[in-house]
Amino acid sequence: MTRTVVRASGLTKRYGTFTAVDAVDFTLEENRIYGLLGRNGAGKTTVMQMLTGQIFPDGGTLDVFGREPAEHADVLRRICFIAESQRYPDSFKPSHVFKAAPWFFEHWDAEFAERLIHDFRLPLNRYVKKLSRGQLSAVGVIVGLASRAPLTFFDEPYLGLDAVARHIFYDRLLEDYAEHPRTIVLSTHLIDEVANLLEHLLVIDQGRILLDRDADEVRGSATTVAGGRAAVDSFVADRAVIGRESLGGLASVTIDERLGQADRIRAAEHGLELAPVSLQQLIVHMTGTDLRADPTEQEVAA
Amino acid sequence: MTAVIDQALVRTEPRTRFNEVWRVVRLHAVTPSVFFGIPWVILGGAWVVSMVVGIIITGASADVAKMGEGMRYSWAVLSPQWYLVVVGVQAIGMTLSFALGFGATRRDFWLGTSLMFGIVSLLNAVAIATLVQLEKATGGWWIGISMFDALWYGQNGWLVDFYTTLALQLLVLFIGASITTVYLRWRMRGMMILMFGAIALVLAAVAIATFTESWPMIFEWLGGIGIVGVFTVVLGLAAFFAIGGYFVIRRATPR
Repeated sequence: MTRTVVRASGLTKRYGTFTAVDAVDFTLEENRIYGLLGRNGAGKTTVMQMLTGQIFPDGGTLDVFGREPAEHADVLRRICFIAESQRYPDSFKPSHVFKAAPWFFEHWDAEFAERLIHDFRLPLNRYVKKLSRGQLSAVGVIVGLASRAPLTFFDEPYLGLDAVARHIFYDRLLEDYAEHPRTIVLSTHLIDEVANLLEHLLVIDQGRILLDRDADEVRGSATTVAGGRAAVDSFVADRAVIGRESLGGLASVTIDERLGQADRIRAAEHGLELAPVSLQQLIVHMTGTDLRADPTEQEVAA
Repeated sequence: MTAVIDQALVRTEPRTRFNEVWRVVRLHAVTPSVFFGIPWVILGGAWVVSMVVGIIITGASADVAKMGEGMRYSWAVLSPQWYLVVVGVQAIGMTLSFALGFGATRRDFWLGTSLMFGIVSLLNAVAIATLVQLEKATGGWWIGISMFDALWYGQNGWLVDFYTTLALQLLVLFIGASITTVYLRWRMRGMMILMFGAIALVLAAVAIATFTESWPMIFEWLGGIGIVGVFTVVLGLAAFFAIGGYFVIRRATPR
């Protein structure tokens, strides 16, 4: 039986007149990998900060391991969240971070951390404030992986990492997750990089949850239809359009629908091209401005 | 969505959790230069300067007794205190954010930080009180200087020197730390209100004392309670900042 680890309802955070997170509802189940996706400033970090008790919600209820997380040591000791903008004391080097980690994470695997430090070629004796962006990300990734916390957050883990390091993260995460299942939340705006890792998607935009669905359901759920404008328009007439681009007499429209055999044949008859939409494209469509803007205006602009 | 029955968690969280508090002490001590290294480098530097000045004056065959007397007004012995205010600020401003990232509660963090302050103050108090006695025993490090045996030090024995240093150390650390908690909780607006509030309070106190002509009484009272009494007031202030900081930090949100 899966257990719910996090349950948020009506969760809200305001900064003055700005509502960073606007009455969101969602749950996180045990031992799954979640993607918390959205644009910069969408509210991803704010959600994670509330889930980990670092900031206090202004409204709604929040249950993490059965309780409100803030100031509850019993909840917090099961959580690991190294924020992308995590601050370290000035005097700290990565060696100090890894020395202190086992005092705070009861499942800390020092050997695993050692291996990751080697894999990422992280200099242990350089001041944290002198590390490059990628090395800083590596510190967070190593703590996140080696802590084996039942609820682990990775906040923009790919920021500044080179291709090899990204691959290492991907491999080690899946490998370790298979052996030590836990709930993982990956927040990122580099969606295609992590698309294959994710089991469940939460797309957040302007403080609201736009999508809360199984990743497999979402993959291939949308289709792009391209061809002559008139043919495309008539084909998508009564379908849910989530994106539209046009150039001269040609149009390319993305619909939120998986097409059946009959539709595919009909599209082919009208000389239309069908293409699957990657997760990243889908989310660009969902969170991009084209969703809200008047489509005719878009066409004029194009 | 899976239908879920939440099992009530077995609460394994006692009210007093020494390990959770102690690990915060260890976190502060993981880079020992901050609390121990730099303050003693500063004090050591001040000592070297005092020694050099002493050697120059002795070399110029001036009156050694007069020099020792003059040095009693030097503040060299207090030189690390200013730095310790900064240590108090940084202990909260930087380390809190990190400790929260590692899953410490604000409560445990403040208790652990307070314990660290206590340990540091105790060690420094023992060291300084002992150095005062050493300086006296060696006749001012064999050249008649008076660095530790200065101000109120060296007049009422080891225990009084120990007690006054302890109180002063706790005060400077807790002032830095508790004011930082105000910033973390209410940001600049809180700091402004705190600053202007404190200034207004001091001015009001001065005005009241002046208009009621009670300055002589106040000085008489301060003279009456003596060195130990004054530093008991200092210790009380430190406790006030420590308790205030605890309540402020419980809802503080570092960036």
